[in-house]
Amino acid sequence: MNFPEASPSTPVTVNPIAPQPAEYAAGTPVTGKVRLEAAWGSTEGDEDLSITTPTAQKADGQIFKQQYKQWNGELNPRWMRNWAILRHHLLGVFKKGHRPWGMAIRLYLLVIFIASMSDVGMTLLSGIIGDSGLHSVWGVNRDNLYGHVLGFFPRNMLYYPVVAALLVGGVISEDRQHGTSALYFSRPITRLDYVGMKFISVAVIQGLLILVTLALFYFAEIATMGRGWAWIIDTLPMFLATVFSAILLIFTYTSIGLSLSSVSKGKFFPGIALLSIILGTKVLAFIASNLFDREILYLISPYDCLAHVGQAIIGTQPTYDQYSWTWSLASLVAMNALALYVLSTRVSSMEVTRE
Amino acid sequence: MIPDLNQQGAAQTKEWEPEVTAPAILLENVSKSYGRIFALSNITLALNGGVTGVLGMNGAGKSTLFNLLMGKLKVSQGSIKLFGTDPWKNPAPYARVGFVPEHEKMYDWMTGHGFVSTFARLNGLTRNEANIEANRVLEFVGLADVAHKKIGQYSKGMRQRAKIAHALVNDPELIILDEPLQGCDPLARTTIMNVIRELGRMGRTVLVSSHILQEIERITEQIVILHQGRLLALGNLHSIRERLDQIPHRISIQAENPKELAKDVIDIDEVFGISFPDGENISIQTHNLGAIHSQLPRIIVDNNHKVSTIDNPDDDLASILGYLTSGGRV
Repeated sequence: MNFPEASPSTPVTVNPIAPQPAEYAAGTPVTGKVRLEAAWGSTEGDEDLSITTPTAQKADGQIFKQQYKQWNGELNPRWMRNWAILRHHLLGVFKKGHRPWGMAIRLYLLVIFIASMSDVGMTLLSGIIGDSGLHSVWGVNRDNLYGHVLGFFPRNMLYYPVVAALLVGGVISEDRQHGTSALYFSRPITRLDYVGMKFISVAVIQGLLILVTLALFYFAEIATMGRGWAWIIDTLPMFLATVFSAILLIFTYTSIGLSLSSVSKGKFFPGIALLSIILGTKVLAFIASNLFDREILYLISPYDCLAHVGQAIIGTQPTYDQYSWTWSLASLVAMNALALYVLSTRVSSMEVTRE
Repeated sequence: MIPDLNQQGAAQTKEWEPEVTAPAILLENVSKSYGRIFALSNITLALNGGVTGVLGMNGAGKSTLFNLLMGKLKVSQGSIKLFGTDPWKNPAPYARVGFVPEHEKMYDWMTGHGFVSTFARLNGLTRNEANIEANRVLEFVGLADVAHKKIGQYSKGMRQRAKIAHALVNDPELIILDEPLQGCDPLARTTIMNVIRELGRMGRTVLVSSHILQEIERITEQIVILHQGRLLALGNLHSIRERLDQIPHRISIQAENPKELAKDVIDIDEVFGISFPDGENISIQTHNLGAIHSQLPRIIVDNNHKVSTIDNPDDDLASILGYLTSGGRV
């Protein structure tokens, strides 16, 4: 062979091709056959071969004339690109044309939003009809604030874990399955930004359900019961402690869920695995506690640890009072660290086309 | 496995400046392996400006090459730089790159305009800029009339053009198209080829792969040939063909009286063989194509031969690929 072999050490720079010095049109397909036919004619009536101009002829079967107009703008900074990812995910919950959350998911979110406001409704009702008995059951107090965020049934059994499972189900795994993450990575977007915005979007949707309804609950009490500054100052610390507990819960469910999403290709596995981790470990700890009278196994349950920390900072009666709540906090930190490690490792090393 | 903390996150295009002297694409001793199988082996290549066709059989490593360039795969050995920066560690060069992947699930629920403008915003354009630029590129690829239809209702050719539009929305200097003509109807092919030629004419660096060899020929003469993960040839298509001078060239002529024509042609010194594949055609074998072509018209005219076609069947890409990958055997 006499053609040049690529030297491993010497890069070969290929410059734009100079136009061929030919008698025929430069835009004509260049093959030996065409070159000869253009030069001498093929006696098939194409002696006057001319450029095939890509201009429009008819509406049906149009070949457009391409005239590329340059864009002379300047690309904006990182936060604008990140905002584009975030709004793409968030707006998809509310309207078409953005990331499509399934109708079933959107309906479930609506149902959970309404259901999460059951205490808001009952507080408003008790204020309107002036029933102090009803208010004592449903109004704002430590137990009810705790219950709004960390109560097991129904909120941490049927509401929040299921919402988290539905949200994380497809948020990364679908990108992996369909290769659409390639579209993101072909932009000047770092993988940290990509996963960070996905994390925030899932957390924000959960925040709408948990934190917004918590705030509505608190303000419903102020509005309907005519609470003054003294009451607000008195209850604000436990309200803020509840807010902190809610943020911890959202963060934990999201980080575990997304780490599961990053290691799977479908919606089902991350969703069902998240529910298994949250509810399964709780059941396991419960069984071990009853069979062996050992409660320490609660430390493997994210929900039990969240509840324990929440009980401690909100100031309600702790379930596992024989152990310090700092064990639960340490367990939560370890769980989140492990989940974030898996997530960052998976996303930073994600080779998109092999998914 | 330690998380890749080297990714700089400094994708701010206002802050990032490409190296002025660096080529758009620079691969140095790049290899990509999956276990013991090498998808690409020791590729060294630099490209800057113009349209370059990437050719190779299935499994030659074309898509692997593109995926490495786009930071979708990590190189096993060597280094890749786009405008002087390693894109795996810092994706900032992608602000100057447009990529049309071979296949991926499109966002069927979006309109063409929504799809393009969404990805324009991922490049850092504001909402207004994204809308304006989406209209610009959709018009360029001929989708302006259907810009507000859902992508799910698009034909294959329209979807390909939508992908090209989304790749062009940031006005990239480097455009990488992986099999852009695959599955398109002739009309869409022509339009897409016009788009690619126009971009090359404007001095953009365009890298395009295709299995449809004749269409690569119509887009560009500058080619890269890959085979089993190795760089087999690089440069002008016809120059590569001419360098294969130990392999005889063939000239196929369809004539009214091929035997009479053969009598006249055999007198040319450079002709070393003539055969008659059928009653209407004559096949001339030579090592010097140019000499034959310089004398053939005179012979035809002087001897009043009636010739309907003259063809160089060895001068197309399929033949060259065949020669190169078969180790020179005809």
